[in-house]
Amino acid sequence: MATKQEYTERNIEEFYVSDEPFYVPTSDEIEIFESAYRQRVPILLKGPTGTGKTRFVEHMAWRLSETLSNTKSQSASSSGSSEKLPLITVACHEDLTASDLVGRYLLDADGTRWIDGPLTRAVKSGGICYLDEIVEARKDTTVIIHPLTDHRRSLTIDKLGTVIDAADGFLLVVSYNPGYQNALKDLKHSTRQRFVALEFDFPDEETEAQIIAHESGCELDVAEQLARLGLKIRNLREHGLEEGASTRMLIYAGRLIKEGVSHRRACQVSVTWGITDDPQVQRSIDEVVTSIFA
Amino acid sequence: MTNSENEKHLVTFSVRKDLENFPSVVVERYELALEKLTERLAEETCDQWAREGLEIASKTVRSWEAAAEFFDASVAVQRQLPSGQFLKWGKTGTSLCEDSPSLAVAYFKSSPRAMLRLRPRYIDDWSNVCRELYRGTWKSSALACRLFEATPELLETLSFEEFCRFGGFLEILSRRSYDQAGDALGAGIELFPKIADDADRFIELAHIVAEKSWRETAELFDCATASLVELGATHRGPLISLARRLAVTGVSDAAGVLKDGSNAVNRVPVDTRDRLLEMTDGIAAVSASAAPEFLRIAPEILERVTFEQMVKWQSEGIKAASESEEAAIAYFKLESSNSQEMLDSLSSSIELSRVREIIQMYCLALTGHAIEVQASQQLAEKNIGWFQGELPTTEGTTIYMPTVINRYASKDENFGFFKVISTHQIGHIEFGSFTFDFNVPSNLFEDLRPNLPGAAELQAAKADEESIQSAGNSSGIALSDVVTSALTEEVAEKGDETKPEFLTDMSRFFDLFQERRLALDVFTVLESSRIDGYVSELYPGITVMYDLVRDAALESRPDVKDLPAREALVEFMIRVSLGQTDDMIVPAEHKDAARRLRRLIRKVTTVEANVEDAAEAAVRAYSLLIDISNDDLEDDDYEQLEPEEEEESDDSDQEENEVDRDEILEKFMNQLSSEGESDGESDQNTEEEEDQGEDDYSSPQEVDYRGEFKPELSQLLSQMQMMESGELSETGEMEPITQEQLEEMMKNAPEMEMEQVEGEEGGDEQVSEMIENLMKELQKRDPENQQFQPGPSQHVDEDGGPLVATEPGTYTYPEWDFRANEYKPNWCMIHEKIMTDGEPNFFRETLAENSSLLVQIKRQFELVIPEMYRKQKRLEDGEEHDLDAMLEAVIDLRVGVSPDEKLFWRRNKNERSVAVAFLLDLSASTAEAIDEAKKPSDDWGAPDDPVEYMVWLRSRRSEGLRRTYKRIVDVEKEGITLLVNSLETLGDTYGIFGFSGYGRENVEFYTIKDLDEKFTDIVPRRIDRIAPLHATRMGPAIRHTAAKLSEVEARSRFLFLISDGRPQDRGYSREGVEKEYAVHDTRQSLIEARQEGITPFCLTVDKAGHDYMKTMMDDFSYEVLPDINLLPKRLPQLYRNLTT
Repeated sequence: MATKQEYTERNIEEFYVSDEPFYVPTSDEIEIFESAYRQRVPILLKGPTGTGKTRFVEHMAWRLSETLSNTKSQSASSSGSSEKLPLITVACHEDLTASDLVGRYLLDADGTRWIDGPLTRAVKSGGICYLDEIVEARKDTTVIIHPLTDHRRSLTIDKLGTVIDAADGFLLVVSYNPGYQNALKDLKHSTRQRFVALEFDFPDEETEAQIIAHESGCELDVAEQLARLGLKIRNLREHGLEEGASTRMLIYAGRLIKEGVSHRRACQVSVTWGITDDPQVQRSIDEVVTSIFA
Repeated sequence: MTNSENEKHLVTFSVRKDLENFPSVVVERYELALEKLTERLAEETCDQWAREGLEIASKTVRSWEAAAEFFDASVAVQRQLPSGQFLKWGKTGTSLCEDSPSLAVAYFKSSPRAMLRLRPRYIDDWSNVCRELYRGTWKSSALACRLFEATPELLETLSFEEFCRFGGFLEILSRRSYDQAGDALGAGIELFPKIADDADRFIELAHIVAEKSWRETAELFDCATASLVELGATHRGPLISLARRLAVTGVSDAAGVLKDGSNAVNRVPVDTRDRLLEMTDGIAAVSASAAPEFLRIAPEILERVTFEQMVKWQSEGIKAASESEEAAIAYFKLESSNSQEMLDSLSSSIELSRVREIIQMYCLALTGHAIEVQASQQLAEKNIGWFQGELPTTEGTTIYMPTVINRYASKDENFGFFKVISTHQIGHIEFGSFTFDFNVPSNLFEDLRPNLPGAAELQAAKADEESIQSAGNSSGIALSDVVTSALTEEVAEKGDETKPEFLTDMSRFFDLFQERRLALDVFTVLESSRIDGYVSELYPGITVMYDLVRDAALESRPDVKDLPAREALVEFMIRVSLGQTDDMIVPAEHKDAARRLRRLIRKVTTVEANVEDAAEAAVRAYSLLIDISNDDLEDDDYEQLEPEEEEESDDSDQEENEVDRDEILEKFMNQLSSEGESDGESDQNTEEEEDQGEDDYSSPQEVDYRGEFKPELSQLLSQMQMMESGELSETGEMEPITQEQLEEMMKNAPEMEMEQVEGEEGGDEQVSEMIENLMKELQKRDPENQQFQPGPSQHVDEDGGPLVATEPGTYTYPEWDFRANEYKPNWCMIHEKIMTDGEPNFFRETLAENSSLLVQIKRQFELVIPEMYRKQKRLEDGEEHDLDAMLEAVIDLRVGVSPDEKLFWRRNKNERSVAVAFLLDLSASTAEAIDEAKKPSDDWGAPDDPVEYMVWLRSRRSEGLRRTYKRIVDVEKEGITLLVNSLETLGDTYGIFGFSGYGRENVEFYTIKDLDEKFTDIVPRRIDRIAPLHATRMGPAIRHTAAKLSEVEARSRFLFLISDGRPQDRGYSREGVEKEYAVHDTRQSLIEARQEGITPFCLTVDKAGHDYMKTMMDDFSYEVLPDINLLPKRLPQLYRNLTT
């Protein structure tokens, strides 16, 4: 989510992450991702919402573009800028079908016209295709990604009757949140065993404070208190809360605080009310908020 | 004897003669009476009298007794009555005698005394009232006689009119039961004198009650005797009238009205009592049956609000009452939400029960541990070392708080107080008071703990020292060296044996001190202060309220000047820790010590300090205080200490420590030697080891929000808890604690000394009782003891062939043998039975207890219903074409691909067609107790060690037959109960089944509710009977359930398996590869079910479930519940997710 100053429109395969997205690694995930990418092993990001999965992918797209252009410029010492790695993100939802990913025929004045779907475009352009919340998509979508995730690296398009071998730079990255869907919406083993999995969890208090301070621009001591709040609320997971407070939420609170909203109120609107509808849990979280914030 | 005389008294003489036919007593009495009467009566009257007597005597066979009584009473009665009346009196008796001589006997007998209070003209009425009771039977005559006999007594308080009415009441009652009437008579005699003025009203009330519901009269009299008597006369009358009015309108419980009414009246201030009754009248006017409820609840209401507020609450209730009778009752029972809210809005107090869950969640959030919140009372009742029932405290896993807070004028502040005390208490948990480790170094101090001698080591050192001294080498400078050398020797000698003597590190720490009470008090202040420091640093939001509470705590502290020196300094410490800065009074000669103590407190009151720092500080503070004798001082001897800022700040900590170190060591040693010299018998366990030669030191008064702090016990208890949850794994196996060890600890624990000192004999008993309780408590928490150990596993060969189902209700099923990769045909036999009926109470109580959860679940389920009306797309047939699908199809046609045929959408009701079977694991392991009160459920849990066994046995015995703990199966039941209640809203087809059994021939399958059975009253009663049985052979049970399910017409079918562990049974779960057998068969049965179009789901509460569940359920859905208590909540959630 590089901040755009003005309106720009790009084709999805031309979407590059040009500015370094802020990302604080919690362990060796950057190295793992880089190695996996070099070996073109697809990656599965697991973790609760708001733990930086999407941000991580953006960061890696940027980072890999950098190394890519660096190595290219070293070897070929020419036009480094065009060697960037596109990032094509698809947010999966429950009505997402295979043809939404692969492409479909459309009617136009002259008859029909084939339109590539985002996955096809990513396969062709050799970018990272990031399928966010993969389990939400319909079951038929998971099947079409199978050939892309093993040695074949190919995409079969039924309706066209074609098979596309993926461009060299192509990599499939998917994410899912094991906790929040119900037990039925789990990834199938046949799917999940095709990926290297990186687990994401909330960063430790100190790191999180740092992230909050950076992202929201609030004072560090406020960020520390927010991080503490996050930590405390996460203790309620499985005991009334399905998900812990995401770092994102805390950042929003930090932003509101920076805007001059009172601390307690900011936490209430961005954390308490966002995280649950259960009045009793809300009340409990409010008590934590009022304990931490004056 | 002369003739003339004979003639004169011809009549009397002939009567005498006739009387001789009767037993001699008659004649004797006759003559006695005659002698007196001849003097007083005219001859004619006397004759008549004599004849009367004769007539009585000759009435019936037994009537001579009556005659005797008649003669006997005559003299006395005659004094009261003119002769006409006197004869009439006799006549009345005669006619009574016609009914029954015994009536006459009673009549005559009580006459002399009755006549004192009875007007002569009422004699007839009197006998009639009593005679009414007589109906020719023995019982009735006994009753009538009793009334005669009681008459004189009754008439002392009752007017004759009242007496008649009372008789009437007895008559009505006696039609139902003579016994009740007799009792009522007896009770009346007792009661009436006490409520003299109101007796008439009461009789009237009794009259009505006897007519309406005669059985209650007994209770009515009981209640009246118990409560009316205590009630002031002014309110008695109105209350009785009220009860009467209510009784007339049909409220049956007049006794209750009297009882509750007088209770309520006694509870309110004198000047409002009339109004209370008026209020009740007001309610009665609208709804008669609500009025008693009001009286009953009034005391409770008044605990929360003032009288004036209650008036408001009542008038609001009257409005509600005008709606309907039920509404009125619910309101005044405090059961309607309207009523509770009204009361809540009026009252400023907060009850723990209402905020408990919030606080619990708050604690969970802060600490990350599931902290229980309970009323302090409950901990005190457990009797495991905590005595105060009102102060907040914690034992490491649960925090205990007062049941109600009404300290402040506003609700917010009262809640704030709850929050402050809970924050402080869980602070002990969050900031590690109970994770004290003797060997962990402190952050801020130079550690002295490792260098200090423990009690046992002191002994050895003393011996050494004495030997050295006797050798002439008594140089004080080398003392600490001596100690160290003695110590090392000691340790070397004993090796590891020294260590396990202490159950906890806390015990080891307190073992360093001779005066443990003082050490504990000092440590408590320092540790609490440290916690406060953390709280104010990490939770700045709470400081406002916290300060308020601390200020209040300061105000209630005792005056320092009233305390002897040492206590004054401890008090000073508390005041410093509570934030007092100026006007600090200390004993003048100990100003320096005070300054140092203050510095120590400041030093530990930061987030840098850990519990070990508090301990180090305690060592230093102790060494300062131990020097100060606890003398009473004059007021002049106290001076004000300068504020901190003015203190010379030349003390660098290092310097202080340097100076202190040897000094402290020396002090610890000196203390020993002086002790050794003064009384020579400082055996380790004698009770008088503390306080020799000095003024008694007594602990300071507790700080209210900090409550009771028991580090040793709490550490012990929380360690056990943590071991259970696997959080303390690094310490490895902990030796099982024996009773001896506990006794040792309790004897030494400073926390316990109070009890021991107070009563020599009783104290000991108390302590041993406490130890027993504690042992039980520990056992509950000890994972070793909880493990469910099934009986000796027999290696029964599963030989034999297939089974044949011949009896009705039996079915055979194959079993999957994964080694052979084939089915064993007809291998298992299902015996299907209908669960027997139990009581409906469990069901009702569960619903009542979980009402809030129930509302939630219901709401969730209600949300499902609109989901059923969603627009369905891509159907082969429907209301209209789906534009998207049509476009796609047209395109496909153009391109030449075959189009999808599902082109329609439909909005019609997606008819929910769900059939679900719940299959409950009723294996014996579900008898395992959970959490709060874990106990080994049966003899299988018996420990091998004889000592342990004795303890175990004792705890079992004392437990008796009553089962107070909750078992897994109870939670299963709860879950099912809540679910069933909500399922009825959805209208799904559902069945509930349980299974267990023993061996393949005997798989028991219980129907609690069959799939096609309607939910009737019998279902809750069957649920009640769900109980742990035998083993767990899942396969056949699943197959049978699947078979049942596949017979049901439903679009989606589910099999919901609720289990507490892996499948096991004889020949089903043997060691080694056989364990796999069960898992594989279960898996196979689930696959079969799926082939039938049934979706299986397994919910298990076995924490170790993840491993085999993965194999067993593979790509089936399952969930392992982290906490069994979540089951009732989670089950409906899962159900909803699964079926929508």
